[in-house]
Amino acid sequence: MERDRLRIAMIVLALIGVGIASYVTYVHYAGIKPACTAGESCTKVQTSIYSELAGVPVALMGLLGYVAILAMLVAPQDERTRFGTLLLTFGGFGFSAYLTYRELFSIHAICEWCVCSAVVMTLLMVASVWRFLRSGAPPRAEPEMPLPGIAGSRAG
Amino acid sequence: MSSVNDPESDLTRKQRREQAREQRRVAEQAHAEQATQRKRLYQLGGVALAVVVVIAIILVATGSGGSKNAPAPKSAAATAASTAVIAMLQGIPQSSNALGNPSAPVTVQYFGDLECPFCKQFTLSALPSVIQKDVRTGKARLEYRAMETATREKETFQNQQVAALAAGKQNRMWYYVELFYHEQGEEDSGYVTENYLQGLAAQIPGLNLPEWSAARNDPAYSNQVIADAQAANQAGFTGTPSFLIGKTGGTLQKFEDSNLTSPSTIEAQIEKVAKS
Repeated sequence: MERDRLRIAMIVLALIGVGIASYVTYVHYAGIKPACTAGESCTKVQTSIYSELAGVPVALMGLLGYVAILAMLVAPQDERTRFGTLLLTFGGFGFSAYLTYRELFSIHAICEWCVCSAVVMTLLMVASVWRFLRSGAPPRAEPEMPLPGIAGSRAG
Repeated sequence: MSSVNDPESDLTRKQRREQAREQRRVAEQAHAEQATQRKRLYQLGGVALAVVVVIAIILVATGSGGSKNAPAPKSAAATAASTAVIAMLQGIPQSSNALGNPSAPVTVQYFGDLECPFCKQFTLSALPSVIQKDVRTGKARLEYRAMETATREKETFQNQQVAALAAGKQNRMWYYVELFYHEQGEEDSGYVTENYLQGLAAQIPGLNLPEWSAARNDPAYSNQVIADAQAANQAGFTGTPSFLIGKTGGTLQKFEDSNLTSPSTIEAQIEKVAKS
């Protein structure tokens, strides 16, 4: 029950992430100014050289990342999907850390959309680590022969 | 006695065996859980390590922002840049911030930030062809206008732009702009110093340096930078490079050029406006 609640909370966070990343990707391709309470900071970040990596907008990378996390969370849960979610959220967290570093020390401007996304990704990473480490051991294969003691008691 | 005790002791042995089995099962389960937990911690460590390595690679790969440090004014790189720029612009009329025949049918306003790496990409990749095919032939004229995007400090932005406009007083602004982009340094590395600005001016053929220095104090150029910013805002530009294209003397229209390395899109637009 507790695990279900955590998974639902993670799905909600991933949906928020998809929303943020979709908006920023749209802004990038539409060439419009992002809504920003910090003046031109968001525009400065989103038009900087660091807004693309190998020609791909980082906003689009974020969107794909959130969609992949969401897909992992809605899929039937087992050890592999939990590990997949961990891998994706850790990667997303690392990438968010890199982008925040660029904002602070290379661009010298903070984009609030990027900060919100970084917070969401950090929460997702923490939740996925918790879930991965706290989930029970994977089910073991049942022994082919019943244990003699148990068989004896049943027979008795 | 023994016949009464035997089943009891038998039962006790069975119970003991079952208890021992149960204990073994619990111990095995605990051991398995510990092994699983250990395996997960190793996986977690592996993922964290992999992410750190990937981010370090990205940091190293993008560390310079795709640009090198600005070359020293009299270095071989600076000499090569000025040779290329002089060859490209020589013989084309210049006036103030404009390049090309004043009566060319098409006007292209190029809004840029001299420290913007995307502008550098456009200026070095796509613009030479436009200058060669459209400006030199008298089909179009280019105007360079300022829009702050990449430059970190407003004062630096103003200073470098006024330095370029001051070269325009001697009809050499495009030399200054082209040299700036050719010798552009790492974004926000603080390379735009007074020495750098004067070094660029010293590379421009025929520029009278004392006159250029004096012109930099002309408030008309600071006002021009403000007017450019207002024009960019009015056009709704969000980044650089951005363009307004239209008939010379007529209303210019916003033009989006997403391909910064190929001149084909902007050349097609110039052709379209020229024929309209």
